[in-house]
Amino acid sequence: MNRLKAIADGQTFESVIHQEVLDRDPVVSIRDFSLFYNRKQALYNITMPVAKGMVTALVGPSGCGKSTLLRSVNRMNDLIESVRIEGDMVLNGESIFAPSVDVIALRKRMGMVFQKPNPFPMSIFENVVYPLRIDGERDKTILMQVCEQSLRGAALWEEVKDRLSESGLSLSGGQQQRLCIARAIASDPEVLLLDEPCSALDPIATGKIEDLIDRLRGEYSILIVTHNMQQASRISDHTAFMYLGRLVEMAETSTIFTRPRLSETEDYVTGRFG
Amino acid sequence: MVWLSGGMFAIACLMIVSLLAFVLWQGLWTLWPRTYSIYGRKDGTLVGGELYAKASLEGQDTLYLRTGNYDVSNQHFAYVSSSELVEQSGWLAPDLWLVERKEWGNLYGFPKQLSWSQADPEDFVRVVHEGMRQTAKIDRELGEAKNELKRIDQHIAEARLGIRRVELAEKIDLQRAAETGSLEGLSPSARDAVSNLGLRNRQADETMVEINDRIAGLEAQRAERTVVFELPILDPLGTITADWADLRAGRLRDPTGLAELLGAAKDSSGLSFSAEPMGDGGLSEPGVEDQRLVCKVTIPGEPTRRLMIRRLEDGRVSVEAFREHSILLADMVRFFPTNRLGIFQRLGVYASRWWEFLSGDPREAGMEGGFFPAIWGTVVMTIVMSLAVMPFGVLAALYMREYAKSGWLLSVIRISINNLAGVPSIVYGVFGLSFFCYIVGGYIDGGPIKAGFEPWPSAAWFSALGGLAIVGLIAFAVSIFSGQAEARRSPLRTVLSWSAGLLWLLTLGLIVWLLVKSPHFHGFYEAQLPNPTFGKGCLLWAALTLSLLTLPVVIVATEEALSAVPNSLREGSYACGAGKWQTIHRIVLPYARPGIITGFILAMARGAGEVAPMMLVGAIPLATELPLDGEFPFLHGSRSFMHLGFQIYSLGFQSQNSEAAKPMVFTATLLLLSIVTVLNQTAIWLRASLRKRFQSSQF
Ligand SMILES: Nc1ncnc2c1ncn2[C@@H]1O[C@H](COP(=O)(O)OP(=O)(O)OP(=O)(O)O)[C@@H](O)[C@H]1O
Ligand SMILES: [Mg+2]
Repeated sequence: MNRLKAIADGQTFESVIHQEVLDRDPVVSIRDFSLFYNRKQALYNITMPVAKGMVTALVGPSGCGKSTLLRSVNRMNDLIESVRIEGDMVLNGESIFAPSVDVIALRKRMGMVFQKPNPFPMSIFENVVYPLRIDGERDKTILMQVCEQSLRGAALWEEVKDRLSESGLSLSGGQQQRLCIARAIASDPEVLLLDEPCSALDPIATGKIEDLIDRLRGEYSILIVTHNMQQASRISDHTAFMYLGRLVEMAETSTIFTRPRLSETEDYVTGRFG
Repeated sequence: MVWLSGGMFAIACLMIVSLLAFVLWQGLWTLWPRTYSIYGRKDGTLVGGELYAKASLEGQDTLYLRTGNYDVSNQHFAYVSSSELVEQSGWLAPDLWLVERKEWGNLYGFPKQLSWSQADPEDFVRVVHEGMRQTAKIDRELGEAKNELKRIDQHIAEARLGIRRVELAEKIDLQRAAETGSLEGLSPSARDAVSNLGLRNRQADETMVEINDRIAGLEAQRAERTVVFELPILDPLGTITADWADLRAGRLRDPTGLAELLGAAKDSSGLSFSAEPMGDGGLSEPGVEDQRLVCKVTIPGEPTRRLMIRRLEDGRVSVEAFREHSILLADMVRFFPTNRLGIFQRLGVYASRWWEFLSGDPREAGMEGGFFPAIWGTVVMTIVMSLAVMPFGVLAALYMREYAKSGWLLSVIRISINNLAGVPSIVYGVFGLSFFCYIVGGYIDGGPIKAGFEPWPSAAWFSALGGLAIVGLIAFAVSIFSGQAEARRSPLRTVLSWSAGLLWLLTLGLIVWLLVKSPHFHGFYEAQLPNPTFGKGCLLWAALTLSLLTLPVVIVATEEALSAVPNSLREGSYACGAGKWQTIHRIVLPYARPGIITGFILAMARGAGEVAPMMLVGAIPLATELPLDGEFPFLHGSRSFMHLGFQIYSLGFQSQNSEAAKPMVFTATLLLLSIVTVLNQTAIWLRASLRKRFQSSQF
């Protein structure tokens, strides 16, 4: 507990990252990354890898900066005027924050799913192929192919294949969230960013999404924020525990949940605080 | 408290409902064909009219009658007090006709004789209908002939303009040449212009005679056919001796006296006579019907005449004739025996009057006939206004909501725009008149001098042009550079983008200044001067003035619609790798469209009903030409136009006879109210239905 107190007091702190995580091939590696909202610092010198082809879960108490970190990976924070950053991230060997980076092209290499389903007010088909549409793709057969692939990938195809021209808003909440996942994987992203994708859904819909994430494992690299410890233990390969803008400990999920190196991590994942 | 607020609420509702009911009632009732009653006054005269209103005061009724027959009686309407009248319910003469005319308003009278036919009075309806079909053809031909004349005039005017243009371009005087037609020593273009005028003049001389003859012939044909009516106005003929009881029974024992009065002394033998009491008798004061008879007298070979016979003392009776009045068949628009119509015929007349009201041209300075030019003018003006206000308003709102960084400057601008919505509309009218009509319009017509600016000398102007080019280049360079400055939000970049903006503003100002000070521009319509083309109130300026007036409505509505677009949608789009414009045009605008359209329709409704600025910038009470017609270039921005709202004002308060125009004012008000209501309802309905479409099934 005293380490967390030290963090709260603003003392420097060395994150603990287990070797088994560092041994993996990273798709994204975050390097000494800090982020400020105006003068308020939200992330402190975070260094961590996101393993290729695996599911990495970000856990931590509310307000610790999980969303901020996730949104930094595809530079969604650029949209907020007051944000300033230090450090860098690397996506498959290429810098994300270098001045010469084309943000638009960068975002096309990632898919993102938000806490609340946000299908666009257009047909299911158009929702899924939106990333291709903005690239100017017109070929019906390609669009159709991608649409089917993505919907199958998001385990939604069987449910909507007869109503592709209906509005995306006509789906149920869980279906909408899977539609958003289908949209996120339509452009075949290198990494998939999920920010609490199940928090607005009921248990059955949540189960379906979890199954889906399980199926996407291996094919996609996934970075997921979750509040739900059971969920993190069920679906993720690696888990990173954050606290007040700092990475505390990161390891294989089973390690984090059974024998973490720091007692604070154990306290958090067992629900003794947080 | 609940009583107080509830009471206020009830009063507010009552006021709104009564306003609507009043306009609706007055507007709908005006065109309904009423019956025409004839009353006897105690002084022996008659007064007839359609009963429009009745007011009671201390047991005395005052009747408000539409008397018609303006050309004879000099009044359209009359107030009659019931104490003047012999009987309280009038005589609904069954064979009285209502004739709507092209001039002089309605005529009410008994048809007596047709100049072109010996038909029996029973056949008059059919014969007159037939005759009207033929005169309609004459009128059409007449219209065509007059159009030809107009075209010839136009050609000559154009040829004159051509000469004027050459004069202005070559700084010469072609007055003499144009008069004499001599082409000596003239440049080729001057020669063309002069010979063109000569050609047009010769053509006119050739065809004009023929056309004028044709017109005279048609006018003569038109004047040939007349209908004689007997109006309910009495002229005394004299007195005769007769037995009252005989007369009452429809007998005349010694017709010579009457025949003498009628000027047919020689042959009184074939005179036939019938008489009936005037009015219904039953409701009149007792004995009144026994003092007065309306009789019909026929002398062989002459049309039947209608006389009023009044009982005097000592066995004599006085004879009075109904005044004869003859009108041109071609002036008749519509006629019907108004007291004899069944309910369906009445409905038919009502429908046909509404049709004329909506689609016909005005008669009698707008007091009768149709409102089509006014409706058309309003519609065209509103459409042009929307075309002007839509891109401006939507783009401005888009910039403010999606692109501009929020800050004090933006707040100030937003507040000013909101305040702009509260500026009295007449202020816009004054601005439109002084800026659009006089300055911009004057500039278009005759260049800077006409717009009231002093042009610079040529050399100074060209050096200023050079300065403009330099400033423009610098502005361009700075904005490119500020776009490339790397560091995000560095002070340098802020300074650069501010100065780029200022430089662009400066460039814009310079361009305007140079335009205004140009010594080389003399307007597009210099040849027409001093007649203004755009330098006066006209459709274009009216539409632009109104678009200024409705701009705040559109901006506010669009901003609202844009801010109602959930941010999660924008983020979702950006996360897919969409750029700013892609996000706006694929996600934001479609989502905001219903709101934008709603604001737009509200702006149209506001603009369509606005009168005060219209009075200043282009609406006129009577326009002969439509602002949008089949004539090239179809939309005539420089024409003045008629406007429904302005028409209400000018009819009700500016015409010579506003009393007579009052019914029409109500009908026009009803029309305007319905147009605005329909627009508003469409907006509400659209908003509701589209909102449902977008937000129906969130979970
Ligand atoms: N747009 C913003 N402007 C200023 N501060 C912000 C902004 N967004 C987040 N913050 C702050 O940054 C910190 C981290 O927020 P973040 O949303 O990343 O937390 P989180 O871990 O995702 O929390 P939760 O689990 O509740 O979603 C918080 O203290 C928050 O107040
Ligand atoms: Mg969060």
